[in-house]
Amino acid sequence: MPNLHRPDSLEEVLGLLAEREDAIVYGGGTTVQILSKQGVIFASDLISLRLVPGLAELATSEERLLIGPMVRLRALERDPEVRRLAPLLALACGEVANARVRNTASIGGNVAHGDYRLDPPVALIALDATVHLASSVGTRNVAVRDFFVGFEQTALEHGEVITAIEVPCPKAPVASAYVKLSSLAANDWPCASVAVALDQDGEGGMSLAVGLGALAPTTTYFELALGSAGLEEATARALEAAEELLDPLPDIRGGAAYKRALGRVALTDALALAWGGIN
Amino acid sequence: MSLDEAVSSGAVGQRWRRTDDVAKVRGQLHYTADEPTRHVAHVAFHRSLRPFARLVEIHTEEALALPGVVAVLTGADLYEALGNAIFTGPAFSDQPVLAYERVRFVGEPLAAVLAEDLATARAASDLIGVEYDELEPVLDVDAALSGRSYVHEELRPSTVFQDLAHLAGVRETNVNYQFRLRRGDAEGILAASGAKVTGDFFSPPIHHVPIELPRTVAWREGNRLELVTTTQTPSYVRQMASDLLGIPLGAVRVRSAPLGGGFGSKMYDRLEPAAAALAWVSGLAVQLAVTREEAFLLTTRHGARVHSEMICDEEGSILASSADIVYDTGAYADVGPRITAKSGMIAPGPYRVEHVAVRSRCVYTNKPSAGPFRGFGVPQLTFAHESLVDELAIARGEDPVAFRRRNLLREGDVAPVGTRMHSADFHSCLDAVAEELGWDQPLARGSGRVRRGRGVAVGVKAVLTPTVSNAVLQLNQDASASLVISTVDMGQGSDTIMGQIVAEVLGLTEGSVRVVPTDTDVTPYDTITAGSRSTYHTGNAVRLAAEKMRDRLIEIAAARLGVAVTDIKLGPEGVLASSTQVRLTLEELVRGYFGGARGTTLSTEAGFATEWIPYDHETGQSERVTEHWFAGAVGVVLQVDTATGRITLEHLAVAGDVGRAINPTLVEQQLRGAAIMGIGLSLFEEMVFDEGQLVNGSMLDYQLPSLLDLPARLTPLIIESPHRSGPFGAKGVGETGILPVAPAIANAVRDATGVRITRLPLTPERVLEALGSGK
Repeated sequence: MPNLHRPDSLEEVLGLLAEREDAIVYGGGTTVQILSKQGVIFASDLISLRLVPGLAELATSEERLLIGPMVRLRALERDPEVRRLAPLLALACGEVANARVRNTASIGGNVAHGDYRLDPPVALIALDATVHLASSVGTRNVAVRDFFVGFEQTALEHGEVITAIEVPCPKAPVASAYVKLSSLAANDWPCASVAVALDQDGEGGMSLAVGLGALAPTTTYFELALGSAGLEEATARALEAAEELLDPLPDIRGGAAYKRALGRVALTDALALAWGGIN
Repeated sequence: MSLDEAVSSGAVGQRWRRTDDVAKVRGQLHYTADEPTRHVAHVAFHRSLRPFARLVEIHTEEALALPGVVAVLTGADLYEALGNAIFTGPAFSDQPVLAYERVRFVGEPLAAVLAEDLATARAASDLIGVEYDELEPVLDVDAALSGRSYVHEELRPSTVFQDLAHLAGVRETNVNYQFRLRRGDAEGILAASGAKVTGDFFSPPIHHVPIELPRTVAWREGNRLELVTTTQTPSYVRQMASDLLGIPLGAVRVRSAPLGGGFGSKMYDRLEPAAAALAWVSGLAVQLAVTREEAFLLTTRHGARVHSEMICDEEGSILASSADIVYDTGAYADVGPRITAKSGMIAPGPYRVEHVAVRSRCVYTNKPSAGPFRGFGVPQLTFAHESLVDELAIARGEDPVAFRRRNLLREGDVAPVGTRMHSADFHSCLDAVAEELGWDQPLARGSGRVRRGRGVAVGVKAVLTPTVSNAVLQLNQDASASLVISTVDMGQGSDTIMGQIVAEVLGLTEGSVRVVPTDTDVTPYDTITAGSRSTYHTGNAVRLAAEKMRDRLIEIAAARLGVAVTDIKLGPEGVLASSTQVRLTLEELVRGYFGGARGTTLSTEAGFATEWIPYDHETGQSERVTEHWFAGAVGVVLQVDTATGRITLEHLAVAGDVGRAINPTLVEQQLRGAAIMGIGLSLFEEMVFDEGQLVNGSMLDYQLPSLLDLPARLTPLIIESPHRSGPFGAKGVGETGILPVAPAIANAVRDATGVRITRLPLTPERVLEALGSGK
């Protein structure tokens, strides 16, 4: 059995992370407990962040959201300010598992997990969010677009913990949409998930940012300047841009060809949904 | 008692509450697996990493040296102690308690570590080293039928079944049983004519996933063995342990109930043989508790492949039907041979067909063993015949409901297996679901990406025959009662139903009858709690015991009141002498009988057994192959997203003929539960193997339907066509609803999209592939 720690300061957390060989920080514990039971991960020490002051805070302004790692997914799904300022993030958080899990799971744990099928990272990568990290030797910020570095791998280094996630609020948001398609039970992992954010490009046209989940070994994204393109042209161009990023892993949920097909459907649907939301 | 008298009383037909509902909701019910036990040694298995291999050497030294480890036992150790008795099984004595000389599937237990705690036992089991000499594995039924590798060197039928005796010692085959059904000249008719429909259908192996995981605790008391175990078959386990250890039946005590779900997964030889052998040989109290992942390896539902053909005449009457069926029973036969026969006999479906040819085979492969599962092999065949019947109707341009109505068996008809039909009202079941779905109204099918369709299917199953049930009833003087039976309540509500039967006969009130948890030292023999047999069989034993009690009370009252027995009326308030209008409460009557002693009881007992005429081995024909039939129908309206292949169920109606609903609420719950289980196996469930290794044996990857996957409307429909010898006309209903679910859904997909899918589950990927190929 791992040692359980419940420190009440960030310094203590960082100290434990630095000195222990296989320490794992946990937020809600919804993933850590399952993966531990299944023997997928091993922890010598489990460190709860629950008592560390300030980590569950959510600060919003017209420019940005600063989200503490212990903020629950359910809170992000329902918070009126998050829904107003970054509706895409609220939508994606609302698609995670079920309400019981969302009431327990934390955004920091979700991002740190680094699984390519998770929902919030797809929105965060489209929104060009930044992850704030701290360790006993200092702090650094990593763009979400650089954070997911490979299959089940993140930029987190030994001794580091996520202290905040910063989401820039688009100055002139147009519309966004999140589409998640699964092949088995409705609340299963997705076979394809797509986050679409449409913004004004400042020249009277639109720009597009797309996050792709479950469609490659890691969460990925692309951006397109759409100019004055209509939905049909935008969809064609987005599908073309997505094509080289689609590299799904075949598994019991579907073969690669099927998942690519679903990815195209999800992208098409998400664009259509977002287009429908244009005021 | 006549049916009319029964109706007049107040228990049967009432929606009495479950005896355990409050305790379950409050978490106060002790399931068998949660029952506290004495100090035990915890057991962890070392499992085979090879699908098929000779065991050259098992190194246990390191495991034994780990602090906390008490003992390590291998199959060879048990063989040395118990000899050939370590091979157990309900039909074939082919499964060693722990693998002996050979391993036959990935995950087969080959050594057991007994330790002071489970973590130590598991850690030590990882330290066991095994040298394998690999054999060519038999990974699917094609390899089993055509290859030169044999999972067992020779067949070892159990001594229990005379009809299997001729198979003893047969070598160089993976086919452990073959059932044939023949009537008329199906092959000739199907070969001669062109206007037939054919199909190759496949149902994969699946797992039961009861919420309560299996657990067995066993210990030795001198020369006796005690077992507390999650079993649906306590009487069977008692006999098995007696045979395994060579001790009298009376020296084995098995306790079970209540269970948190069974569905066939907790029957016959699961953890019990290993627990019994390890406790006996080591002299220690042992606990075997498996993880969810391990539970997938304990037992599965048979994967089945069916090639079937059907033809009808110009008037639309089914003329001939054939089926070639292969059941994949995995490494050990379990009840596979029984499933092969019991299902094979209804392979033509619930139809009047004069010309029938069925070959049903049970084959070994190097996979986890398959055994009983709700429906006992029948749903795999229902998928085939109901898909083909739809194709026959479509080929004629006829409505599938009307086509079925013309061909369905009716009361008094002789089924293709040679047995006459009674109390199996397929027509009312089909009509009820058709009406519920508004079948006579046109359906808006949609023209864009999302298409809608609807489908129906009908199912038939024969009840297990012959079987035996017994009941002992103790009436307490305060008009409460204890019912001593070996039926195991695993959520189906048998404790409630049996209580209602007693209450009906004796005029007792709701909640006044307690069913004693199964304890083979106390509760009498009962074949099994499975196969939807309890309400009819144990219910009849219970009814008879209650009627004896009623007669006894009337005799006592007549003697006490000095009137003739015919003058006594028994009712909820007690007894009444009609001629003198003298009344006595039950308490006054019973207490008076025992000279005023308080807390006294009266006991009666009764048995109920069924008989059959064994089927002919060449033709499968029998005039009495089963005691009764189950009849059910399902109708579905659904949507298919033709871009993603995803199926969304709008409305599912499920009807079952239960003879008489002892408790309509419990019947509805069984119909609903069976339909939901059927939705899972229709849409999602499949045990996926890669080179013999199960790759999705966890709740993360083995997908059950969630609440969000259920139809927006799910309507259970009770049909009552009373059985002449059922208790108050009743029959069971546990399996009825699951039989026709998959073909009803496949037929609705066909209706929506024009494609016929013959492989389960109907995953979006499979649907999309079928749409793409335009089949």
